[in-house]
Amino acid sequence: MLRALDLANLPDADVVALALDGRDAAHRELIKRYERPVFSLVFRMVRDRELAEDLTQDTFIKVLSHLDRYRTDFKFSSWLFKIANNVAIDHLRRRQLDTVSIDGSPHATTADAVGASRFDISDDGENALEEMEARELGSAIERAIASLRPEYRSCILLRHVEGRSYEEIASTLDLPLGTVKTYIHRARHELRRALEHTRE
Amino acid sequence: MNHRHLLPNEIDLVVDGEAGFGVAPLRAHVLECDECRARVDDARIVVDALDALPHFAPDSRLTDRVMSQVPVFVPAHVAARNSVTKWLPQPGPARVAASAIFASAAGVLTVALVWLATQGDAAVFMTGLLGDRIRGEVVGAARDLVVALLGESVYAALQGTGAIGASLVIVGFVLAAVSTVAGIRRLAAAGRH
Repeated sequence: MLRALDLANLPDADVVALALDGRDAAHRELIKRYERPVFSLVFRMVRDRELAEDLTQDTFIKVLSHLDRYRTDFKFSSWLFKIANNVAIDHLRRRQLDTVSIDGSPHATTADAVGASRFDISDDGENALEEMEARELGSAIERAIASLRPEYRSCILLRHVEGRSYEEIASTLDLPLGTVKTYIHRARHELRRALEHTRE
Repeated sequence: MNHRHLLPNEIDLVVDGEAGFGVAPLRAHVLECDECRARVDDARIVVDALDALPHFAPDSRLTDRVMSQVPVFVPAHVAARNSVTKWLPQPGPARVAASAIFASAAGVLTVALVWLATQGDAAVFMTGLLGDRIRGEVVGAARDLVVALLGESVYAALQGTGAIGASLVIVGFVLAAVSTVAGIRRLAAAGRH
């Protein structure tokens, strides 16, 4: 029987093979290795800790339940990030559909109609969890990242927080290499402008 | 000095520390051009801030929550292998001895099977002999049962009528048994009412 210490020294592909052999400890090792990177990516995508916990859990359940579909010619972490990103993007798309604009209904055609459908959000009721999130994501760079388009955000986080190469990002996000380079370039440009604005 | 200023994607190459063909001249230009150096430094501020972003830790119960919903399936071949491994002695002289015994037994069995396969006629003869012996025993036991239950005369009559007579007796016996059970149940039901 492999001890936890031995598992920690094995490469991802070997741990996946042991997990496919039905070893509980190998499943746990994969979660242990990637829970922080996956959670960080998802948290920065959705900016809600509780929701990020749920989406991270969904990601790992999907990955570990379908390990037999994992192709070993692909990096395990890339496959995992691909699923995590898809889970986060799917959620953002659903939320976009469900969201009512605080600026008023997009279907409003007159100023009165816009005013009637607008509502204000008060920040008096910020609870402890929200305060914690505000602290975690409150730095200028985090706020600037939050203002990026989700596609730019995924690319920039994979590049700088996870240290992935452009090629790995392209394969993880199923995007052409040129598109990834463009997204990262534009994202950096937007971030630079946002930070300049903050400094002023 | 090369007077062409760096393009935006070239600034990215320098900031990313790329080592590919054509990056060295870009770096050399940056060292000589104040304007490009300023743009690279500006880009580096953002990249350094991004590189310094920390990982966040999820709830410590995440693993247990995930594992409670992931069915850990042990494939049949792995289960079989695990069972064998469980019965095997720990690596060392004991395992070597067990392997030697197993190999010897497997060898003897294989030789015996090969010998049997080459002795096809003998095997057919022996199987036939065994079959006759078993049939004789079964028929003898059935005859003893019929004689004990119904008497010698019934057995003689059955022998005279052959298979048809035996079938009729069996059908009659089954009908009698079924009607007896049904009658007893009806009586019991009437008694309860």
